[in-house]
Amino acid sequence: MKQRTVEILAPVGSFESLQAAFNAGADSVYFGVEQLNMRSRSANAFAVTDMKRIVAACRKHQCKAYLTLNTVMYEHDMQLLRSILKEAKKQGVDAVIAADFSVIEYCRQLQIPLHISTQANISNIESVQFFSRFADVVVLARELTLKQVANIIGEIKRKKIKGPSGELVKVELFVHGALCMAVSGKCYISLHQQNASANRGACVQNCRRSYIVKDTESGEELKIDNEYIMSPKDLCTIDILDQVISTGVSVLKIEGRPKGPEYVQTVTRCYREAADAVALGNFTQEKAAAWKAEMEKVYNRGFWEGYYLGRKTGEWVTQPGSAATEKKIYIGKGSRYYPRKKVGEFLVESGTLQVGDTLLVTGPACGMVKEQVEKLYVNGEEAEKAVKGDKITFLFATRVTPNDKLYKVVNAVHA
Amino acid sequence: MPKIIHYRSKCIGCGVCYEQQPECWRMSKKDGKATLLRSVNKKGVFMIEITGAAMLKSSDVAKACPVNIIKIV
Ligand code: SF4
Repeated sequence: MKQRTVEILAPVGSFESLQAAFNAGADSVYFGVEQLNMRSRSANAFAVTDMKRIVAACRKHQCKAYLTLNTVMYEHDMQLLRSILKEAKKQGVDAVIAADFSVIEYCRQLQIPLHISTQANISNIESVQFFSRFADVVVLARELTLKQVANIIGEIKRKKIKGPSGELVKVELFVHGALCMAVSGKCYISLHQQNASANRGACVQNCRRSYIVKDTESGEELKIDNEYIMSPKDLCTIDILDQVISTGVSVLKIEGRPKGPEYVQTVTRCYREAADAVALGNFTQEKAAAWKAEMEKVYNRGFWEGYYLGRKTGEWVTQPGSAATEKKIYIGKGSRYYPRKKVGEFLVESGTLQVGDTLLVTGPACGMVKEQVEKLYVNGEEAEKAVKGDKITFLFATRVTPNDKLYKVVNAVHA
Repeated sequence: MPKIIHYRSKCIGCGVCYEQQPECWRMSKKDGKATLLRSVNKKGVFMIEITGAAMLKSSDVAKACPVNIIKIV
């Protein structure tokens, strides 16, 4: 079943998300370890020692594992960098995603396959040619149009530009997720305002706030219709995915390592289905609309199709935070599972739960499972409602472990 | 006596503390994170007492840390 035309590459920031990516049918995942990746600010980064478990899980699911090492690198990072790369080599990580030349050099020495990160902003064929000496896959700049992408891919074929493996260089594109207001990797607002370099993965996302524009001479404020003048909506290419794939792109990448397993599973599954539909020739706008509605339920800042269609001005968000149509409320944690009866037991630690509610369970073993409760037992008795402190059981097809978290899904209300 | 507290595990190794106050900090070659010199380690949280005179500078450094893991108490 894994013989596919385009590769779907999912973001993974936790073991929950890793399983969620497998559930959704990702062909490959990318993850960061320690502080040398663009999401070093996010709380639960993987450690070097997690690599073994990640790669082993990926092998089991016939999924490739890529390690992201794409920050600016300093002198004092070199030893850590070397030890991360040695471990990556030992564990058999399929490729390293890099932008800094130190990483490129070490990978070459250790003969680890390389992908060039979007942080290198590759926007023309000469750059592809240059990087082809080191890398088999290049991630193109997110700011190109599809026409430019198609041209570059055409030129790779025409000029037979090959990577170290001897095969034609493959092109990877971001198809979904957060966009930067600047050309990726070229933004210094966070650094200037809060000393937090985006290029060390510490971006505080100042661009996501609302701003006023003031004339300092007269003190007068300019009237603008949208105060979020620097926060672009999220990239979503699901309704133009046929056009994206027809450029000849090999890998479709989804942004979002700090986002939860429900995001990873929902978005990856939608792109998986959409890419398969394109391959089978039954991709339609109706289907695209349904996938989009599905993805609107999880974390998003509103969607637009980015710069790929050659739009001159971006689309900006009109509210802070996520525009997701659904949100999850923490209810409790898993306690045990009765495999014969297929019954899961959970402890309610906050809030209430009722028959008919939609539940979301996340965990390193199950990824993300969403289901409706039809029958609920509280402390062994059938009941309509459960409250804090209750031990609840209900039919659940997936094995429950104490590492699982139970949430209730509700509609999010936006002002 | 005031203290500098460093929640080291969350350090992203940007090097700002070392740039601003080299007398108190080093960038570890081993793991790329900042090390608070002469500090005591309590379960991964590093602490050192400082003089009142060093307080001002240390507070600036605490403010400059991009991930807010340096505290002055
Ligand atoms: S300023 Fe903060 S994050 Fe940067 S090196 Fe020092 S302690 Fe680490």
